[in-house]
Amino acid sequence: MSAPLLEIENVSRAFGGVRALDGVDLRVNQGEILCIIGPNGAGKTTLFNIISGVMRPSSGDVRFQGESIVRWSPQRIAAAGIARTYQIARPFARLCVRDNVAVAALVHERTLERARRAAQDVLESVGLATLADRPAGSLTLTQRKRLEVARALALRPKLLLLDEVMAGLTPTEIDTMAAFIEQLRERGIAAIGGVEHVMRVVMRISDRIAVLDFGKKIADGTPAEIVADSRVGEAYFGTSLDDVGAAPPTKGHS
Amino acid sequence: MKGRTVIAFAIVAAVLALVPQFLNGYARSLLYITVLYVALAYAWNVISGYAGYLSFGQVTFFGLGAYTTAISVTRGNLPWWEGALLGGVISAALAVPLGYLMLRLRGAFFALGMLGLAQTLQVVANSWQLTGGGSGLFLPPGSNALPAYYWTLAIGLLTFAATLFIDRSAFGLRLQALREDEQVASTLGVQVTTTKVWAFVISAIVPGLLGGGYAWYLTYVEPVSAFATRFDLQAVAMTILGGIGTVWGPLIGGVLMSQVSEMLAAQYPQAYLMIFGGLVVVLLVFLPRGIAPAVSAALARHRARAAQGHR
Repeated sequence: MSAPLLEIENVSRAFGGVRALDGVDLRVNQGEILCIIGPNGAGKTTLFNIISGVMRPSSGDVRFQGESIVRWSPQRIAAAGIARTYQIARPFARLCVRDNVAVAALVHERTLERARRAAQDVLESVGLATLADRPAGSLTLTQRKRLEVARALALRPKLLLLDEVMAGLTPTEIDTMAAFIEQLRERGIAAIGGVEHVMRVVMRISDRIAVLDFGKKIADGTPAEIVADSRVGEAYFGTSLDDVGAAPPTKGHS
Repeated sequence: MKGRTVIAFAIVAAVLALVPQFLNGYARSLLYITVLYVALAYAWNVISGYAGYLSFGQVTFFGLGAYTTAISVTRGNLPWWEGALLGGVISAALAVPLGYLMLRLRGAFFALGMLGLAQTLQVVANSWQLTGGGSGLFLPPGSNALPAYYWTLAIGLLTFAATLFIDRSAFGLRLQALREDEQVASTLGVQVTTTKVWAFVISAIVPGLLGGGYAWYLTYVEPVSAFATRFDLQAVAMTILGGIGTVWGPLIGGVLMSQVSEMLAAQYPQAYLMIFGGLVVVLLVFLPRGIAPAVSAALARHRARAAQGHR
């Protein structure tokens, strides 16, 4: 078995007296889809901020392809192959949709012209091609979420951090996004999704699920193992997962 | 298209180069001041318009250029334009470390930090022997105005060309990205610090070079006028009125402001500042992003309507 793509080792982060993350260990393998579930404030976004280099951990280490990246700048981490989206979409509002993506494509393309062409291709793949010339500030919430993903993909990442990409979407849009995430597996891109709700989809698309609660990882396993874990149900829902109607696991059982 | 831009550029440059021959002294000085302000506005537009770091202290480099030239001429016996070039070099060299330091600040902190820097240099110039203290330095008078005008015009045209290039380049896109959201830009792989320091250097070289021309034009440099906040305020007002972060904004705003304010000053010498201020406020209430974006939006609408009409 090859070394994991990403290893998070004993990472903690305190804000004043609050421990947003408390000794978290996590690994992600090449092409694996890992969902981190946990209620609002459990530490998912803090973890994404640390992996993407926007924030430094108070202690602990993050290794990407065997190299420690905790001291790296966000731009170096992005160029190395870790891309992220933001929970609340943050488009460059006054730039057009294509240029939003071209900024990221410039990491690989030497000229602006080629970056714009690459951006157009990515927009095609997420269904935003017809809006390429519109200012990004004029997009709807759903379109903004897609733009977040498009910009991240333009970095040609090996690992994609998706912070609540399904929040605020309609059930149909959630299915489209889920199908899109499952495609990543075929393209060999690993993904970490942070998800508060939509357990039905999480159970279906995840290879593995980790559960965060008040900054601590309380469970980590296949969807089947997570459903069976009574601690998870209690911490997360105050009741068992069966009672809230989580779909039966389809992976890991077959 | 590209060829047409070059030809238009050459014609405008030729007209601006020839026009002083047909003007009297007053009109010439008005032309010089207009070109100077427009060039300063273009320089300011790079760091503050494209990169979004509002500065009220780019005059630091202007004063630095003026003093470098005055000192080179009076104490070093150099030709004035060599002193002016040196002013540009020193400004660029200073802007690199200064950029790394100051561009950690955001918003009002950066703006006020730069303002403070200009004030500090003014105090230094006021009390240092080398700079002649409060009485300043006198340059040899003569037929200085025309060479100073050509110097300023050349730098203004270069700055305009640089803006055209930035507006269409990867560098310019990165600047705009970090203006919109610096953190997001960094997680999309933009080298934010390097990029904004480069913008700062460009916005420092230009006033550094222009300051030398100004010293030669006035034949006199003293602390208050060399580091006058007025230069930055003019650049700010012109650029915002014309359209901040656009190619044409500084030109439109600059020409309009200097011509209209001059006309008003002649007509209503008592009240012209009040009228002028009122006009600017009214314009910005109706066109909050400035004139250039409003014009290009109108043009786009017109083109769209024309395209529909053809169908």
